[in-house]
Amino acid sequence: MDLKLDDDDLNSCVQCGLCLPHCPTFRVTGDETMSPRGRIQLMREVQYNDAPVTSEVVDAFSTCVQCRGCEPACPSSVPYGHLMEQTRETLVDAGKMTPRWQQLALKPLANPRLLQTGSAALAVVAKTGLVPKRLGLPDKIPVRQEPLTASGTDVLMFTGCVMDAWQRDVHRATQRVLEAAGFGVTPTSDMAPCCGALQTHAGMTGDARSLAESMMRSLSQGQFAAAPILVNSAGCGAAMKDYGHLLGTDEAAAFAQRVYDVSEFLADHVDKLEEAFATSGGKAVDLRVAVQDPCHLRHVQRVHEATRVVLKPFVRELVELDDDGLCCGAGGAYSVLQPELAGQIRDRKVSVIEAAAPDVVASANPGCSMHLAQAEVSTIHPMELVDSALNPR
Amino acid sequence: MAGFLGSVRRRITPQGLRDAQQDAAADPVVRLLSDALSADRVRIDGAHRSLHGHDASVFDGGVSGPVCYPTSTEEVQAIMRIAKEHKRNIVPRGAGTGLAGGAIPLGAPIVVAVTKMNRILEVDVENRVAWVEPGVINLDLTKHLQPLGFHFAPDPSSQQVCTIGGNVANNSGGPHCLAYGVTNSHVLAIEVVLPSGDAVMLGGVDAEPAGLDLRGAFIGSEGTLGIATRVCVRLTPNPPAVKTLLLSFASIGDAASTVSSIIADGIVPAALEVMDQRITQAVENYVQAGYPTDAGAVLLAEVDGLAESIEVDAERIAQIGREQGALEVRVAADEAERAALWKGRKTAFGAVAQIAPDYYLHDTVVPRSALADVLEKVYEIAERHDLTVVNVFHAGDGNLHPLLAFDARKEGVLDRVHAAGAEILRVCLDAGGVLSGEHGIGLEKQKFMDEFFTDDDLEHQNRLRQSFDPGCRTNPGKVIPTGHSCADIAALKRVSNEVWV
Repeated sequence: MDLKLDDDDLNSCVQCGLCLPHCPTFRVTGDETMSPRGRIQLMREVQYNDAPVTSEVVDAFSTCVQCRGCEPACPSSVPYGHLMEQTRETLVDAGKMTPRWQQLALKPLANPRLLQTGSAALAVVAKTGLVPKRLGLPDKIPVRQEPLTASGTDVLMFTGCVMDAWQRDVHRATQRVLEAAGFGVTPTSDMAPCCGALQTHAGMTGDARSLAESMMRSLSQGQFAAAPILVNSAGCGAAMKDYGHLLGTDEAAAFAQRVYDVSEFLADHVDKLEEAFATSGGKAVDLRVAVQDPCHLRHVQRVHEATRVVLKPFVRELVELDDDGLCCGAGGAYSVLQPELAGQIRDRKVSVIEAAAPDVVASANPGCSMHLAQAEVSTIHPMELVDSALNPR
Repeated sequence: MAGFLGSVRRRITPQGLRDAQQDAAADPVVRLLSDALSADRVRIDGAHRSLHGHDASVFDGGVSGPVCYPTSTEEVQAIMRIAKEHKRNIVPRGAGTGLAGGAIPLGAPIVVAVTKMNRILEVDVENRVAWVEPGVINLDLTKHLQPLGFHFAPDPSSQQVCTIGGNVANNSGGPHCLAYGVTNSHVLAIEVVLPSGDAVMLGGVDAEPAGLDLRGAFIGSEGTLGIATRVCVRLTPNPPAVKTLLLSFASIGDAASTVSSIIADGIVPAALEVMDQRITQAVENYVQAGYPTDAGAVLLAEVDGLAESIEVDAERIAQIGREQGALEVRVAADEAERAALWKGRKTAFGAVAQIAPDYYLHDTVVPRSALADVLEKVYEIAERHDLTVVNVFHAGDGNLHPLLAFDARKEGVLDRVHAAGAEILRVCLDAGGVLSGEHGIGLEKQKFMDEFFTDDDLEHQNRLRQSFDPGCRTNPGKVIPTGHSCADIAALKRVSNEVWV
């Protein structure tokens, strides 16, 4: 069948195999069908040779975490992420991938009221202990939360869907840090409920496009028209920076230019943070902190160095994980949909973390921290660390 | 000459992926294999069989039978015994990064992928050896040894992905083999499962093991003598100091004569690598290491050893370079710059898709003194056939890698690639070169073996092979050319993609 993959993109792979060790699923299985090279070859077989889309072929595609760790490893810059997104879109449209219930499960993300209600209900159920552990939910889901309030219009702080429901405290910390650096902050809250990343990964590109369009409309009005949009979730930031590709318009490309990871933005203003730090009499956090680079920060946005720049003055010690940024297995909804592989991938990450022996792991992506927390790894968002240095309690 | 380069991979016949699962499920061999391993480690679906029909080469026409993922010597033995009992062929496979088609399965054999046998079993620093399984990735081993002050010396460009088993099969080299020697110098003992199913130990940890050097015979045998299941590698101490120089030249000829002069001067650098302008541009586009993209060629020279001595060597290399017309001589300022330069060199082949979507990479060795002359002829041949050629190679030991970059979608381009490839090989042989430096013979060079070896040579090679594998069932149809090898080739060709046996 025609997967609708771009001919030049699909032919830009010379099958050299340098991507293999950078692929988390190949690393844990040693199986060519679970490698980027293998998946690209299967795309070719399907698109050019009309190979049947068997359950094994679907498996090969649906086991991809979409971490895109293969992209920086590729000397020919094969746009693997886009190939995989298009493949999934075509297969979902043809009814061969992402069953209806999974599609329905993603619908509430676009609706903040529904999401908050659902989350609160889940919180109540979670207290009864009836939620299966493998769903990877956080230990404490808030039942009711105080809203975030705007402090100015210098920058927009994207709050998103699940993160706003479950980790609003990270948003509060982020906002305080931005304010300490001298920026007035408007949280996007209901203005932009969801970035559409999970929908794109699931091949529900139509839904993702309408979310992108609606976000662009609401975040481009009046006083916000030129404001930088700061994102503290690596997966959302990567998706928003790709709106130019998703929508294929100049307007979307221009919008994407306004999107920054919050550390990427703050790396240019560390002096202001250090000033605030000195005046407030704050104290560097007395912890050995391992930086875990979320894949979509390191491999897709490629701005992971900024996390270190921003963290360094505010913690006792920063340590690196010795695995070339290999994925932790979270992958948005991946840990729920592919629990076995996600667990094996996480085991690898956990052993690397143990070797680095940190007090805490700093991760700039809510999915990674929840997934790692399930394995008893103590995680924290980099903004929370900076915030506690600036505002010691 | 026609036909030695098969159709390229994207022109696979439509039945390539047709699912033969039902036939396969009825195959008693599949049931026996599943019982011996486990059902999830014996794959018979079209996706697995299709992907294991390729390696990283341009050669095609491979089709795999059941794909097995053993995890122990015992399981490899069981596979071998089942294969022997049912007269099935076996093809071993590592990471599938071979460029000569050595891992391409002909005639739907059982493919034995050793990627799950990836444990480092023992590191014995006192005796400076380590025991590893064949699926361990070359660079993983070196990373594991680094904190102890050691590394595994053979460092093929594909070292971040290729396996120790594959290194043994191909007697792999790499940039640093100029000073340190190839895989043969770094493997002391190998546990091998023979085609009979018996496991034997070849070589030994002792300095002078008794008897014939069967270890040496096995290394470089490209999977035709059996399957390595445990490998004892030598640990090489990390040098106390390293210096990497980048020299740029107006022409590749100047770079090549600098290489000859350096060696003639009595210096043995750790590595001497040359890249021409086109590949340097592609590489720099990827790594941004500061490679000069306006130079005709660059020479990467590395010296290692005691700080004082490498200082002298580096200065001498720079001087020789300048005498040969170097435009610029730069020393990598720190480890980060050095790492970036090497990353560029080692990913060069993969960067070729920036130039064209397909490539055919050659591998020959010529006398160093003939380098400049042979290179000139290589460019001339490519031009005559209207093809793009790039050169990136281990200059220090005369190991050339002319690479023809092309777009197989264009009509007639393959015929020109065939013709140019054969001419390049002839030029190298005429200059006193050999067929292969490090990539092996595989499918690629099989047809040229007759030109390089006498009938008598080939006859003896074949007898050695048959003494390990009397039934000619491990990696059949490779290395030794038709007419000299076991009479299995004709039979292989008759097997259609649709069937197993």
